[in-house]
Amino acid sequence: MTAERASRVLDEIQAAAQVKDGMCVIIGGHILSSHPMPVIRQIIKQGTKDLTVIGAASAGLEVDLLIGAGCAKKVITPYVGAEALAPIGPFFKAAAERGEIALWECDEGIYYTALRAAALQLPFLPSLGGLGTSLPDVNPDLKVFRDPIAGKPLLAVPALRPDISLIHAAVADAYGNVQFVGSGMGDRAHHRAAARTIVTVERVVSNEEIRKDPLATALWNVDAVVRAPYGSHPYQSPGFYLHDEAHLNEYLTAARAAVKGDRGPFTAYLDRYIFRPATHAEYLQAVGFPRILSLYEF
Amino acid sequence: MPDYTTAELIAAFLARDLHDGEFVVVGANLPVPRAGVLLAHLHHGPNMWIGLSATQTSLLKEPVLEPFKFNRDFRAAKWAESYMLHEEAFDSPKLMSDAFFVGGIQIDQYGNSNLIGVGKEYRRLAFRGPGAIGTTTVSTYTKRYYLYLNSHDPRVLVERCDFITSFGWGKGGADARQKLGLPGGGPKYCVTPLCVFDFEEREKRMRLKSVHPGVTVEDVLAKTGFTPIVPTRVPETEPPAADELAILRRRVNVEGVLRS
Repeated sequence: MTAERASRVLDEIQAAAQVKDGMCVIIGGHILSSHPMPVIRQIIKQGTKDLTVIGAASAGLEVDLLIGAGCAKKVITPYVGAEALAPIGPFFKAAAERGEIALWECDEGIYYTALRAAALQLPFLPSLGGLGTSLPDVNPDLKVFRDPIAGKPLLAVPALRPDISLIHAAVADAYGNVQFVGSGMGDRAHHRAAARTIVTVERVVSNEEIRKDPLATALWNVDAVVRAPYGSHPYQSPGFYLHDEAHLNEYLTAARAAVKGDRGPFTAYLDRYIFRPATHAEYLQAVGFPRILSLYEF
Repeated sequence: MPDYTTAELIAAFLARDLHDGEFVVVGANLPVPRAGVLLAHLHHGPNMWIGLSATQTSLLKEPVLEPFKFNRDFRAAKWAESYMLHEEAFDSPKLMSDAFFVGGIQIDQYGNSNLIGVGKEYRRLAFRGPGAIGTTTVSTYTKRYYLYLNSHDPRVLVERCDFITSFGWGKGGADARQKLGLPGGGPKYCVTPLCVFDFEEREKRMRLKSVHPGVTVEDVLAKTGFTPIVPTRVPETEPPAADELAILRRRVNVEGVLRS
């Protein structure tokens, strides 16, 4: 028995290997910000299938990419898109219209209620939000019931239980103390609900660095830390770089062609950015450092 | 030709309905409501709290409010007095927004809104919408909200939504929300590029409140997929005043999106 505190640092290949066929994963961030992309790309590369993908409370195109690459069986999120660049993700839209993926329809409030139920190991939590809407009609497990105390209607929101939470943050130490720049979006709720948490970070810092500002530690005791500079690319990483609009448009052009029947550009996109680069570093090389370094703008 | 655009007219209309001291979140990808909120703040709301890019703040002393195109642009955090932890934002109406803007791929005559999709069968939608985002829960709790549309189209303003993601006044009646136990005040106005609808007090059905200058009642009826209540006299939406236009152009919308 050694007296050393164990490092939890893995590379993106080791981290993604924990994601198995049929699992339920939840992806952090918010629309164009803070997605753990090296792990997402590696999941696609290793060919994981039949995932239930819970996107962020508002997801960006990382969920769309997993659908397009054929990894997702079911998708749960109140939004998939890129705002003004794409009001809705092309693969998400097409797969939903064609019935190719299962969906669980919710809004952000109901989404967090479901995650809180999971964290507390409750079968459900009640909600006022959703009463009178179509959500109980389209989700058979979202049920209207009578409050046993006052007899008024309430919605029973079943727990959403992710196997693995995948998060991108600013820094962490090797032991799993994680700090964000900014709010951390809804990532705390993901960590609480999931059985395991893997966090990609811009920098792995010393434990002393974390101790300078313990109040900034938003997540502690995460299961794995992945060193991933520019790890949210093509999305923003607060305090480090902005999203890469040209890359997102390249993706969108390929995705829009694919859903119309021409999968060539999307296959080329996957080859160039996912299948050919052996590591995250090689991905960054494929994107090109002039582009990467141009994203640091305030 | 008036010396203002329809976008500026709507921004001024929305601004006048927001009150000093209120907390209002500026949503994503909605330049006109954004301008309305910021105009209210700078024009008559020195004690308003502004939510933007997952922060809360006051922008009273900022000379120019540069726009951020995307919801989570972290550059907006330079103004932050506090951060919004997103998972906590739904824990209390105090953290949501006193007033809110809800869009829709369909909105019906009772102010119910649909962001799921168009089609009779959920598993075979003719058109998949973006999803409910935060609208279901915030419209449940917020003191009042505004239905906001970028285009006035009979395929959007429909008799009945195919699906409902935000419950407005259901099938009508002033007690529709109370019967379900929904605490918020419900939709107050529906604002379009042609007109403003309010909700008749008893039935809670849409009623033409004003038409924008240059628009006729007939124009509105021809482009609305249901028959709203039309009073005998329908006034024009009040144009923006000179001091409102000055704030909009010099501080809120310097880049000119509202003028294009």
